[in-house]
Amino acid sequence: MSTTAKPMIASALDFAARSDTGRARENNEDNFQIAAELGLFVLSDGMGGLDAGEIASKLAVETIYAHCRDADSNPSLAFEGEHVDGASETSNRLASAIQFANKLVRAAAAEGAKTEHSDNGSGGSSGTPKSMGATVVALQFFADRVSVAHVGDSRAYRLRSGEFLQLTDDHSLVAQQVREGRMTEAEAEASPLKNVLMRALGVDDTVEIEVDEEIAMEGDAYLLCSDGLTRELSDGQIAAVLTEMTDPQSAADQLIDLANLAGGGDNITAIVVRVGAKSGSTLGKIGRWITRSGN
Amino acid sequence: MPKLTLKFENAILGEVPVGSKEVSIGRSPDNALVIDNPAVSHYHARVFNEEGRMMLEDFGSMNGTFVNGQRVKMVMLKPGDRVTVGKHTIVVSDSTDLDGFAPVGVGVAKAAAPKINETVMLDTRERREFLQKIAAVGESAQVAPARVKVATLIVRSGKTDRQEYALTDKLTVVGKSALATVKLKGWFAPKAAAQINRREDNSYYIGAADKTPSVNGNPITHPTKLSSGDVIAVAGIEMEFVLRD
Repeated sequence: MSTTAKPMIASALDFAARSDTGRARENNEDNFQIAAELGLFVLSDGMGGLDAGEIASKLAVETIYAHCRDADSNPSLAFEGEHVDGASETSNRLASAIQFANKLVRAAAAEGAKTEHSDNGSGGSSGTPKSMGATVVALQFFADRVSVAHVGDSRAYRLRSGEFLQLTDDHSLVAQQVREGRMTEAEAEASPLKNVLMRALGVDDTVEIEVDEEIAMEGDAYLLCSDGLTRELSDGQIAAVLTEMTDPQSAADQLIDLANLAGGGDNITAIVVRVGAKSGSTLGKIGRWITRSGN
Repeated sequence: MPKLTLKFENAILGEVPVGSKEVSIGRSPDNALVIDNPAVSHYHARVFNEEGRMMLEDFGSMNGTFVNGQRVKMVMLKPGDRVTVGKHTIVVSDSTDLDGFAPVGVGVAKAAAPKINETVMLDTRERREFLQKIAAVGESAQVAPARVKVATLIVRSGKTDRQEYALTDKLTVVGKSALATVKLKGWFAPKAAAQINRREDNSYYIGAADKTPSVNGNPITHPTKLSSGDVIAVAGIEMEFVLRD
């Protein structure tokens, strides 16, 4: 049985996810992974030329899942990176997984750089491009709470008793400026630099991960999403969907459809998780873990 | 600044500084110095500052207040005086007077007073040193060493398991659940009444869970950043949020 990370005991988690290329891109560089038995939900938005982004985000979510899974059966597995003071073991393990993912994405980028160098430059698009990065946002439910860890501008939200709250602060240049009072939200929205990130996986040898913990309550709805969703839909629109559509799959589908209708300028991914006592949990039906199916 | 050290038998239970605010002593939880013991009246006595002099006043308590063995009504206190309330001794000291006050952890204090229902307060000096050590460890690992402030919740009224809580965790829960930090007592206390988050920049935000807390009398409408001195009220308890260097 799992020792470190336990999903909510008293309540079951009902969840669904959907990822879509959108209407403007050639491929989908978003990836996600869900491990119900660990209460783990991970989303990553990759970046880099050619298919580098897709490789980076896939590597990120798979690595994070594998590390958490391995730690679950082997709690004495070494932690990657520094201990997060005042955070639970689950949170620390999640941070460790993300730190480890950073290492691997960085290594993959370096590997790609080597390949390119040895190429004769004959004009083919072979070889992995030398720069790749990814954002990550993850939730892990345990006991009566949830760990929220992220790097970059993919977000986690929570809907509780009518309040729709962004749980993560974007690690983007403009968001930082807004927080410091040097720019208004409207200016940030209009800024040509609004996609510039302060933190991402694969850029440096170590990455600074923001970790928080929250109480999780029955009736809560959580959303993990890439910026492709929030660039098209306002918080109010998203909250309305989550409020009206209590079935997670319907909500996820509706969010993607609306985002595409509004422009679909980027890849769009949404993971919806509802916390509630359910008789006959759907966990068994959906399966132990699901990943993005090619879209 | 002078302080009062609360002792039971030979165990030091806690300290309260005597500043400009008076220190009320009694069994009721809204006193500054709470002694939860049947021999102590709800509002037993107080220590206050009158024109630079430290004064002790008994509120006409049932069992009386004694200074150095003598029953008193109103008297001036000097460092070294021993005030007796019920079975507890309150020693008056200067803040510089550390001689003979070996810090005792909560565990030992509990062992010294096993049967009597005390409100046990942590030894503030020991906790302060411990937190300073932790802060130093964190600082050495940081790129830009900022002065990490220590955040504390001081319970002003209501039934909780302790009177002071150091907010070192990322998540501090106020509630009845076993996982709560500030443990509420009472049959109807919710498992998780409210939560306090310590964010990455070491700012603190209070948020609702089962109940909606008030900050300085105003119910919050969303997670609210706390400033030193803010008074939080939720689920029948009142606490002050204090930030110290």
